[in-house]
Amino acid sequence: MLTELNEIVSELGEADKQERIEILIDFAKRLPPLPDRLSAFKDAAHRVPECQSPVFLFVELEGSRVAIHADAPLEAPTVRGFVSILVEGLTGSTVEEILSLRGDLIDRAGLPEILGMLRVRGLTGVLNSLKREVTRAAIAS
Amino acid sequence: MATSYVHPEVLVSADWVEQHRNDPKVRIVESDEDILLYDMGHIPGAVKIDWQGDLQDQLIRDYITPAKFAEICSRSGIANDTTVVFYGDKSNWWACYAFWAFKLFGHADCRVLNGGRKLWIDQKRPLTTEVPSYPATNYTVQGGEEGAIRVFRDAVLEHMKAGKPMIDVRSPKEFTGEMLHMPEYPQEGSLRGGHIPGAKSVPWSRAVNEDGTFKSAEELTALYEGEVGLKPKDDVVVYCRIGERSSLTWFVLTYLLGYSKVRNYDGSWTEWGNLVRVPIAKGA
Repeated sequence: MLTELNEIVSELGEADKQERIEILIDFAKRLPPLPDRLSAFKDAAHRVPECQSPVFLFVELEGSRVAIHADAPLEAPTVRGFVSILVEGLTGSTVEEILSLRGDLIDRAGLPEILGMLRVRGLTGVLNSLKREVTRAAIAS
Repeated sequence: MATSYVHPEVLVSADWVEQHRNDPKVRIVESDEDILLYDMGHIPGAVKIDWQGDLQDQLIRDYITPAKFAEICSRSGIANDTTVVFYGDKSNWWACYAFWAFKLFGHADCRVLNGGRKLWIDQKRPLTTEVPSYPATNYTVQGGEEGAIRVFRDAVLEHMKAGKPMIDVRSPKEFTGEMLHMPEYPQEGSLRGGHIPGAKSVPWSRAVNEDGTFKSAEELTALYEGEVGLKPKDDVVVYCRIGERSSLTWFVLTYLLGYSKVRNYDGSWTEWGNLVRVPIAKGA
């Protein structure tokens, strides 16, 4: 159950501040590019409205499993890194698992300590947006 | 009409920074919206000072104490006579915010790298991930400028009642009040949308070019004097959401156009939009 995401969150939570920054940067660098078939749909419907930077989320269901694709600018590595953690940590989870995710994972990962409360709000927005997209995909299927 | 900046010395070019990188009297400071950017690569020799984690008090909504500020300067190798050059992302919003905060504490020689982080990278100038360390200094906070460049809510209310000029630098939809009506958009943290009555809307971004540099003196004069009717001797209040974007406008009016009395209302909309019984205007 959400093993992969929990592992990433624990790793971050146990790291010191500088290591957390480096882990986030690593995730930001390795966010896979959007598949071609999705990149044409980078529009308002897929944009996370809480983020000042253009962040796009795409959720697809493969049977009972969720596949997540996302795009965020390299110039905004914090949100890109967080999105990349969600993509890597949650792909293959079930709808129920993602909807049961609690917002405190950002706290457990120790992100407020390095980012400050103002920046953390954008990340909470990404998480809420992801849940919305997952719900929408589940209803559509 | 101003045809050149009134205080051109506060802006430095990327060439100037490259030439002064190893000058012990110069310290380059990166201040970004995104805190990871410095660690992904910065101007060699630059230190990071975060507007949020370093310059804001973590308990009270205010800036740090003079003692804490002295500590940050000392640790960054900044002495009282150091020339501090700020640069950052987003066309130098946060660099201007850090500049303004340094002025609150009375640091004498502050400058901004014109074009900021983006232009430096676009011009393929050197970047490093190496974090420099400098000998600690004996920094003594001079203080004294706060009253001239910062304004609090009661004074803003008086300013409004007196019909003096105010510039709201947020995006047009934040100004009209539409922004808070967006679904699931709670993060502005304000209970009411709109602007301070009498304020004129000039989004901060109109003062900068696509490449991140500031617009020319002629363009800035046409904007602030031609379009909204400000005059260099006016008593002007600028504000945004938390005072960060408006510090860029404060910088432009004060240094590039030479206005004598511009104050930044850092309480901004996250304070005004939550105050009980203060007047608010909606629409354009």
